[in-house]
Amino acid sequence: MTKTTCSTAIALTTSLAASLLVLGGTAQAADPVKLIDVIELSGPGAPAGTNWKNGVDLAVKEINAKGGILGRPIAVTHYDSQTNPGATRAAVQRAVDEDAYVVLGPIFSGPISASMQITQRAGVPQIVGGEASAFTKQGNPYIFRTSLNQADAMPKLANYLRDEVKAKSVAVVWVNNDFGKGGRDAMIPELQKRGIQVAADIATESGQADFAADAIKVKNANADAVFVYLNEEESARFLRAARQQAIAKPVIGETTLLGAKVIELAGEAANGVKGHVGLLVDAPKPGFAAFGKTYQDAYGFTSDHNGIKGYTAVYTVKTITERVGKFDREAFAKTLHGARIDVAQEPGILIDTKWLENGDVDRESFLVEVTDGKPVVKATLPMINP
Amino acid sequence: MIRRLDASLLILLVAFPILWLLPSGLKSYGLYVVSLWLVMSIAAMGLNLTLGYAGLTSLAQGAFLGIGAYATAILTTKAGWPLPAAFLASSALSFAVGVLLGFPALRVKHHYLAFVTLAFTVVVFLVARNEQWLTGGVFGIANIPRPVLFGSDLGAALPFYRLLLCVTLVLALAMWWLLKSPWGRAFLALRENAVRAASLGVDIRAYTLLAFAIGSAYGGAAGSLYAPLVEFIDPAPFALSASFVLLLTVVAGGAGSFFGPFVGAFFSYMLPELLRATGGWYLIIYAAVVLLIVMISPTGLLGLIERWRDHRSQAKAAAARAAAAPTLGAASGETDSLGKGATQ
Repeated sequence: MTKTTCSTAIALTTSLAASLLVLGGTAQAADPVKLIDVIELSGPGAPAGTNWKNGVDLAVKEINAKGGILGRPIAVTHYDSQTNPGATRAAVQRAVDEDAYVVLGPIFSGPISASMQITQRAGVPQIVGGEASAFTKQGNPYIFRTSLNQADAMPKLANYLRDEVKAKSVAVVWVNNDFGKGGRDAMIPELQKRGIQVAADIATESGQADFAADAIKVKNANADAVFVYLNEEESARFLRAARQQAIAKPVIGETTLLGAKVIELAGEAANGVKGHVGLLVDAPKPGFAAFGKTYQDAYGFTSDHNGIKGYTAVYTVKTITERVGKFDREAFAKTLHGARIDVAQEPGILIDTKWLENGDVDRESFLVEVTDGKPVVKATLPMINP
Repeated sequence: MIRRLDASLLILLVAFPILWLLPSGLKSYGLYVVSLWLVMSIAAMGLNLTLGYAGLTSLAQGAFLGIGAYATAILTTKAGWPLPAAFLASSALSFAVGVLLGFPALRVKHHYLAFVTLAFTVVVFLVARNEQWLTGGVFGIANIPRPVLFGSDLGAALPFYRLLLCVTLVLALAMWWLLKSPWGRAFLALRENAVRAASLGVDIRAYTLLAFAIGSAYGGAAGSLYAPLVEFIDPAPFALSASFVLLLTVVAGGAGSFFGPFVGAFFSYMLPELLRATGGWYLIIYAAVVLLIVMISPTGLLGLIERWRDHRSQAKAAAARAAAAPTLGAASGETDSLGKGATQ
């Protein structure tokens, strides 16, 4: 028995020592500018994370082909966050240890909340893809968005429901995670302020496969419109279930419901869906169309808004660094607060964008309707504070 | 048994200074991963007691991790308790809930017990997610503080790792003592044959409840350390999958082996990080390794060493038998010749 325990001890010590060597030997200095992308490549966030990663790679390739940032090429490394707060924290710790100039990602709010203190402590700017409103309210000077805060998007959508759809009552279907709950909590007060009744308030599960029961509840609520706020795959499943239940009322959503992946997965059931979209390759801006074609050629499928977010995140790093004139993280963060980047100055930014003092962004957005399997822009909404 | 446990004690005491000094050169990422290994080793130690020693199949250890983490997060961020007090309260709460969960274990066994504990894990997850007034719901609880002990701030990565190491040592020593004591033997008796254990005077009811409660308290203690380690918690890390990973940890390490939880936690929580060097393949490689281990050694990684030892001792015995064969052959030859002679 003692021999067994000693063998165990030797095996344990050897493997642990080897592991510590690997874990300790990761820091390295390099001439290229190091961007580390901590992103959802597995778990529920994988569809969104894969789009983001592709967008980042595309931008890095283009920028490097034109000489990099201030003459230095970009070296990008992708770490999988597993859509898990603990794993994201480990990956962001690693990014900071490896002397990342800027950390890109993640997209899901839980992983962002678990990792943003690390970049703040290290003074490393972090450009994320999250839309939940909470994390830019904490006074962290190093956190920046690439998309509209959901709290800013919801008033636009509530106006649309009141003025265009003429809805007096709305059934709200949301996914019970930080993204969906945040959207639901932002939307319902906006509806109530406009005198729109919430006829049904239906929570669904992340990863839910069958939406038949929820679609029946929506149908029975007999509301004038349905507001759907789910993640990509769940959105497609709900649309199919709604079509099976012959729900004839307008189905309205925000960004994810009108994403390319949702339209592809939902097929014919996506036709007629309307809503508000922050970023869209079919938007009436020349930059978006060019980006959409390059992305399609490179990866064989249409980019959703996350691909655009990843792409513009890298161009944001390039533009702001060139404004600062050197690679200084603190100056980068200070400059990005309150900065505005126009397409005329940097085409890679795709749409004129302004960053607020808390790291939120302000930009134009679009009202879209899916027609014949394609998102068609019906109207362009202006910036909130141009 | 006593010799084995004494060797375990020796290893613990030798490993402590090594683990104290060895990671001092690591940066924050390495320290975080090694700290996570320690925390999950504590949770796995608890499940190893429940499953490996007492033979009670539990899928609730992830839930106890959550109970400990949420209790500590709420007590430190909302009530302003210091971490040591929150740690004790979280462990005590998990112990109490473990006693309650132990009652179904008195009535059902094996996979039926797994279903009961699975349902409990789902209930804990739903409470964490839906009771937003208490737990923060899906938005979680942020900025969980790291401790200040006797005026010194242990918030930095290395001091916090060393605090975790000290707590792990204390809990491992307590587990060593427990397993060495008559309680440990009673747990083993419970696992091997409950009826026979009862006939020998072991109070089945009390020991089943104790096995659950102590295992749960270790889960709660681990959760109480997990919360300040990550500094943010939401319900996701305590969902059913967390209990499955902890079950894998104990089985892969070697259920019923004192160091099994440490080996298993290394396998479940450090190996995926080490495999990141393989890029996008790392989860596929990890899954393949899991499959291989389960196929080659259902008794876990430490079971491989046991099997190697058994194989060696059998080979030695076979060699000894072979060496003794000529003598035996000569003896039997005599008999044969005698027999033949008699026939002739």
